[in-house]
Amino acid sequence: MIVALVLAGYAATLALAGPRVLRRSSWTARAPRLAIGAWQALSVSVLSSLVLAGLALAAPTAPFSTNLAAVLRTCLIAIERGYATPGGAGAALAGLVLTTTVGGWSLGCLVTGLARSARERARHVQALSLVARASEHPDTVVLDHGTPAAYCLSGRHRRVVLTSAALAALDKPQLRAVLAHEEAHLAGHHHLVVAAAAALHRAFPRVPLFVQAHREVARLVELVADDVAARRHGRFPVAAAMVTMAAGQAPSVALAAGGAGALERVRRLVGPAHPLGPGALLASFAIVIALLFAPMLAVASPALAAARIPGFPAATAISRAAMGPNCHDPGMVARPPRSQR
Amino acid sequence: MSVLRPFGELESAVMDRMWAASRPLSVREVLDDLRGDRVLAYTTVMTVMDNLYRKGWLTRKREGRAYLYRPSASREVHAARLMSQAFTEGGDPAATLVHFIEAMSPDEAAALRHALSEQPGVDPGAGQ
Repeated sequence: MIVALVLAGYAATLALAGPRVLRRSSWTARAPRLAIGAWQALSVSVLSSLVLAGLALAAPTAPFSTNLAAVLRTCLIAIERGYATPGGAGAALAGLVLTTTVGGWSLGCLVTGLARSARERARHVQALSLVARASEHPDTVVLDHGTPAAYCLSGRHRRVVLTSAALAALDKPQLRAVLAHEEAHLAGHHHLVVAAAAALHRAFPRVPLFVQAHREVARLVELVADDVAARRHGRFPVAAAMVTMAAGQAPSVALAAGGAGALERVRRLVGPAHPLGPGALLASFAIVIALLFAPMLAVASPALAAARIPGFPAATAISRAAMGPNCHDPGMVARPPRSQR
Repeated sequence: MSVLRPFGELESAVMDRMWAASRPLSVREVLDDLRGDRVLAYTTVMTVMDNLYRKGWLTRKREGRAYLYRPSASREVHAARLMSQAFTEGGDPAATLVHFIEAMSPDEAAALRHALSEQPGVDPGAGQ
């Protein structure tokens, strides 16, 4: 019970404080790839904490062992004990419901979201093959359209799409920069990164964490692609290409005001580059890893405690190595040792 | 336009001819036109044009014993449709992925130009 509460509290704290901290951090624009990892770790950690909290309620002593039969037997005993008390049965049921809804719903939304975007991409590529013209650049096609634009379609039939207006407006270095930017999206599988964040956003449309994670990840993949293009062709051509493309935008296609994001990108490219130093990079990386594994630790500690209880089959192997029999009555099974509370 | 599906390349060649033509064409006319480039059977072209009709790319009208085909919409209309698909949030922005730049207002474009002119001498090649 305590483990479940700790995990649920952890999930709530992360979901509330995490986005605020990340959005306020100035390092995200300096290390966009790591920042994407941080948003992903935050999302995964919140979801896995909830799933594990449910499991901790349902089977309070889920043990860790390589012997599968022993693990199953231990789970059964734990569940039987839980159900023997009326409150235990209710808690176990609530736990199962929590685990299956959160886990199943997020996985389901991820799978359908990714499948849907793959389907739409395939349809789009098919239409492109009839409408667009081939170009001299590999995997790049030209769409006859008066608005300068560039986008890419990843997957099996990867394509970079340029409009004829973009081709006319960009000079050679700018064009190379745009193509490198789109190539970076394709090589980095950014479509999957964004589609996953979008799927979680759709799965939990009212949870600010997932709303913001989607928006931020979509912004950060642009920064990553800008950096790749800038490394290959210089920072100025990338920024200049953005300005050239923006200048040709017809007001009629101003569907969404994405100007703020573009402005940030141009400022970032024309200003002096100051990537994150190795020390700060390492520290941020460590925090991301800690975020991911903290929930597992919370579950592992009572399992280790349970391993000391002689009645549990999975315990026998572990308890030989453990500090010795420290037997509690069955009601204490779920609780971590005193020192960890 | 590589191996999208069996008739992919031929479909695209047929649509090119249909968009270039100023009047409705029969299968025979398209075949004669395409034969300059490659060896083709009448039935192959007929199948391809029938597929295109079923997918909504062509419309047709019976004229004597044969059908006369014409494009259902111009290439420009299809291009505009694809663009709006790629740029509409309502579609699936993740499907076509991120565009190089979002649509923006003239004011925003001016701000962008200004940001670029702020720092003309930048250190090229210094990325992150």
